[in-house]
Amino acid sequence: MSKPIIVTATLLLTGLLGTVTARADEVEQVFGFYCAQCHGTEGKGDGPNVTDDFPVDPRNFTKAEEMEKLSDADIKNVILQGGPVASKSPMMPPWGKTLSEAQVDALVKHLRKLCNCEGKEG
Amino acid sequence: MRFAIIVSFGLAVTALLVATTVSADPATGEGVFNASNCADCHYTQGPAREKTISDQLAKQGPELWYAGSKFQQPWLEQWLQDPQPIRIMKYNSVMEKNPGGHPKLAADDATSVTEFLMSLTSGDVEAGVIKPKKNPKGKLIFVKKMPCSGCHQFPGKKFKGGNSGPPLVGASARLNPDWIYAYLKNTDTFKPVRMMPNFGEILSDKDMKSVAAFVATFK
Repeated sequence: MSKPIIVTATLLLTGLLGTVTARADEVEQVFGFYCAQCHGTEGKGDGPNVTDDFPVDPRNFTKAEEMEKLSDADIKNVILQGGPVASKSPMMPPWGKTLSEAQVDALVKHLRKLCNCEGKEG
Repeated sequence: MRFAIIVSFGLAVTALLVATTVSADPATGEGVFNASNCADCHYTQGPAREKTISDQLAKQGPELWYAGSKFQQPWLEQWLQDPQPIRIMKYNSVMEKNPGGHPKLAADDATSVTEFLMSLTSGDVEAGVIKPKKNPKGKLIFVKKMPCSGCHQFPGKKFKGGNSGPPLVGASARLNPDWIYAYLKNTDTFKPVRMMPNFGEILSDKDMKSVAAFVATFK
């Protein structure tokens, strides 16, 4: 393979990896900014809002046995419309007027990484 | 001789009264604000600048370009002299508690800086819309239907509220009720990037007024 082709391919691959990395950093920043206040920085449901008298237990995203029961669509709906759409607590805010759809989709993928699991179909 | 003493005393008292009642010019307060390095943490020229989460995280303290619309003057003047922590968490943090230590101002500086900050108003806050009122609808929305108490401490009996947002305890003395409503209605205008969700398109206008009136009663 000629040198120019190798250099071009390397640059393209680096650019692609850079884009993927940037997106991973972005969703972590989104999670840390909006979600961690209740769900904790590691998604374990232990954010600073969860005081002893907090009325509900925010979802622990690292618990695969719970996360597997939810489809990606279930998770997306709750993020967009808040807890009541899934008969959950209104302490989970509706983020649909705050986050973009791209951010919400990225968050769903991020939660799957946290539980290292896939959800049910649907 | 006696007459001269009485007149001199009267003039001195009058001069003292005038000196203590004349308001400081906002420009004087702005000078003190800048000399005290307040601008290191607080920006005072609108409109809002933040476009990304990184922009917001880069800030050391809240923006003050609409301080005159947000705060009540007596509270602000007192707080600058004895700045007890408001937020539970350090600004922008979900990990660190607020360490306190906001610089305090001497009384005359607090007066002049307050004059300056109260001159910073927003045309997006309409005066005279909200009167503090303990209304059942506002309470129902704040405590049950919406997640407000999840992030904001409030004078609740059993559950006192969450820690990530600024406590609303004391809002009756600290915040302008009209600003509370304006902020709920057009949050992005004041803070385009913040941890609080937008409720302006979720709550009806009537509901926002009910919540604002309720929050404005918090002691």
